[in-house]
Amino acid sequence: MILGRFAIDPVIHITPLTVFNFHGLAITNSMLYGLACALLIMIVLITVARRMTLKPKGGITQVIEVGTDFITDLLKSSLGSEEKAIKYAPYFVAIFFFILFSNWLGLLPIVGEAFRSHGEPLLRPFTADLNGTLAAATITWLLVQYFAIRESGPVKHLRHYFNGSFKNPITLLLGVFEMFSDLTRIASLALRLFLNVAIGEIIIAVFSALGGSIGSITALPFTILELLVGALQAYIFVMLSIMYLAVAVNHGGHEESEDHLTVDEVVHDEAGKASN
Amino acid sequence: MFNLVAEAVNTAVLAKGIMMGFGMIGPAIGIGLIGNAFMGAVGRNPEAAKYLGQVLVIIAIIELMALLVFASVFIIK
Repeated sequence: MILGRFAIDPVIHITPLTVFNFHGLAITNSMLYGLACALLIMIVLITVARRMTLKPKGGITQVIEVGTDFITDLLKSSLGSEEKAIKYAPYFVAIFFFILFSNWLGLLPIVGEAFRSHGEPLLRPFTADLNGTLAAATITWLLVQYFAIRESGPVKHLRHYFNGSFKNPITLLLGVFEMFSDLTRIASLALRLFLNVAIGEIIIAVFSALGGSIGSITALPFTILELLVGALQAYIFVMLSIMYLAVAVNHGGHEESEDHLTVDEVVHDEAGKASN
Repeated sequence: MFNLVAEAVNTAVLAKGIMMGFGMIGPAIGIGLIGNAFMGAVGRNPEAAKYLGQVLVIIAIIELMALLVFASVFIIK
């Protein structure tokens, strides 16, 4: 990409580069980083879960607890009850921490264009790669469908999309369209996460090239912005998938109202009290 | 005739400029409208500022449109 006159030309890659081949399957540098990130959150979260105590003791346990409470509160306000929130919490908390760590650790100098082996960058953020975010969005969508089917049965879950009867052609067509628009949610989740992180990397590369020899100082404000954007995008990914789960699990508005204050019941009660 | 135009004018740069210019109008106006509604609602009911402020994450959903335009710049050669 020609950007005019720079002291150093910014090197920008949008697609990941293959590091080595493993029996015919190409391992890219973002796959390596994704594996490292997954191992890291496994170690951190299992260690924190072992060190859970009733009285807060400080340290990394409290930091992870803040994140977990945040997501569990979100689940509780969307799904309604606390036991449902605890039932679905493990997956959403894990994906939140995975995307958060992947975005934040991608700002380290090791990850990116500077650290090269055999002339190619060795590590690259997992979420700055469209393959990675498409995988995360597809797995999330499949799990949301699985949770919804497990909660209400396959036939009742299909009836969510069709409002009226099957014989009416309008509601049938609308139902088919709704099922397809469910698939576009995968694309929107994946693209939002990928574009925010990849464009952040491009901005940091451009501004550090603009600085020339003081490139690390000119790129500093945008690195701080990327911290905020990374955290916000992780929160939005998880919030939107929880919203999709809440829409699929809630059984519409077909419940009876809680307060028995219809006219017939009040008159009946009054008549009953008057005759006693 | 269009061959002459393509040789004399760098149509890729022109396309990128026009796309960025027209594409960013929509999201910018949309986010401005959200800010407008937020200010109006907080002005009428200042205690609701905490709850309404949490809805501001909708801005990131609108940013997707702006980022799609920005990313298309890198796709056009």
